[in-house]
Amino acid sequence: MGEGQAGGSKPFDPLESFRGLRDIYLDTMAKAMVEAVNTESYAKTSGAMLDTTLTMSAPLREGLEKSMVQVLEQLSLPSRQDIITLAERFTNLEMRLDDMDAKLDRILGLSHPTQPGVPAETAAKPVVPAAPRVKSNPASTKPAVSVATHTPAAAAKPAAGPKQAAPAKKALNSVPARIAARKGAK
Amino acid sequence: MEQAPAITEQVALLEQRFRTLNKVMTTKAAIAQTPKELVWTLNKAKLYRYIPVVPKEERHGTPLLLVFALMNRPYILDLRPGHSFVEFLVSRGYDVYLLDWGVPGPEDKHLKFDDYAMDYIPRAIRKVKAISGTEEFSMLGWCIGAILTTIYASMLPNDGLRNLILLTAPLDFGNKQDITFARWTDEKYFDVEKVLAAFGNMPGEMIDYGAKALKPVENYIGNYVKLWDNLDNPQIVEAWHAMNTWVTDNIPLAGGAFRQLIVDLYQNNRLMMGEMIIHGQRVDLGQLQANLLTVIAEGDHITPPCQSEAILSKVASRDKEIFRVPGGHIGMMAGSDAHKRTWPHIDEWLGVRSNQKAAGSN
Repeated sequence: MGEGQAGGSKPFDPLESFRGLRDIYLDTMAKAMVEAVNTESYAKTSGAMLDTTLTMSAPLREGLEKSMVQVLEQLSLPSRQDIITLAERFTNLEMRLDDMDAKLDRILGLSHPTQPGVPAETAAKPVVPAAPRVKSNPASTKPAVSVATHTPAAAAKPAAGPKQAAPAKKALNSVPARIAARKGAK
Repeated sequence: MEQAPAITEQVALLEQRFRTLNKVMTTKAAIAQTPKELVWTLNKAKLYRYIPVVPKEERHGTPLLLVFALMNRPYILDLRPGHSFVEFLVSRGYDVYLLDWGVPGPEDKHLKFDDYAMDYIPRAIRKVKAISGTEEFSMLGWCIGAILTTIYASMLPNDGLRNLILLTAPLDFGNKQDITFARWTDEKYFDVEKVLAAFGNMPGEMIDYGAKALKPVENYIGNYVKLWDNLDNPQIVEAWHAMNTWVTDNIPLAGGAFRQLIVDLYQNNRLMMGEMIIHGQRVDLGQLQANLLTVIAEGDHITPPCQSEAILSKVASRDKEIFRVPGGHIGMMAGSDAHKRTWPHIDEWLGVRSNQKAAGSN
């Protein structure tokens, strides 16, 4: 039984030798192809093929684009360029909103250290005096309060646990919740 | 007569194999399963924060921002449960954020490294700092993500970056003999302006072809042969399915960034020569001060090791290290051995450098 298991557990596979040959062939081909693509002649040939394709397709592409713009104009529909322009304006608006958001956070951080400007996970924690930080940095010309409010997390870090922090994080991470919180602060 | 049942069995087995093959070739695997929340968006970019599973008092004090390449989906970092780098980091107590660049549209064809490194990344970092409550943070950049994080770290050295991890970072393009892409994109053969005039953005399919053509037999034949040979092994099939889902999920590269990649880097090696201009200023790698870990894949054919080595001699970082691992460009982080070699080393390196008290500690 034991002998049978040891010697005859693997059934005869007529394709085994074929697989061996196939793997050797693929390995050889793989090495040859890696060398072939890393040559100047391959780079030159592939570059020429791409160049030819792009040159030949350019008139067709340009003609298609022109006629499409005309059709859309006739139908009073926005062209691709119009939509691109709009999208770019949206992105600019988003950037400005992001800047305003950051400025608002800073202002709120200064005036209400526990309001949305404060980092979410530390918002629920009591603020401790910032005196030790000022002491450790005697070169600083900023008053203690300024230091504490500019980096509120520094002051809040040592205290409180995750149970307090979790609701604040959830509440303040979403944009609508932060807007609501700001309104409440006013 | 006895052969009839055996033949029937073989036919049934073959049918099952074709069913499995059809499934993995035509469906998408369940990927990116680690729980996360969207915390910030800008244009197509999204910043995710992975939900911590370790209590706050046991977590590392310094948050970690992951920045992946522009032309592939970042979920390779969170491929599938049990084989996810993100899941590993979260379980090790890191506060992990992921910057997903999204898919650039025609309206984004002008986006350059300048925009990604100096507009998007700093804004995402601002959000990371606000949420985590720290002024210091760590960053991990992979492939082109490593280029962007290096530019950022050199241009804004005092922004709070404490630790920088670069994975397969294509930064030095001086050795053209060993960089196949550099041959292909030589200005003698490759007209970048003609390509961008035709497409606006560099199409994902062309990028995919370029990456696969570096090893054509492995990618176009060997990969499928390996799958066929292992169709009866559910573990290998599952891994193949997830990787294939990622590999075939191609996205275009913004035209402006592609032009910089080819002209400034592949053709002129401007970053390493100290001649790269970002937002009107020269990028000086000597300004990079963060602790630096460069991870190099020894079998990387996309970013050969020679591209990632020279950075160490250029930066001002006092704490810097090169870590070499066997494997390829992606396999190094997403292969079956990644959790035994690459991930633990990154954790070991980053862990001891992430435990300072958050916010204000210098």
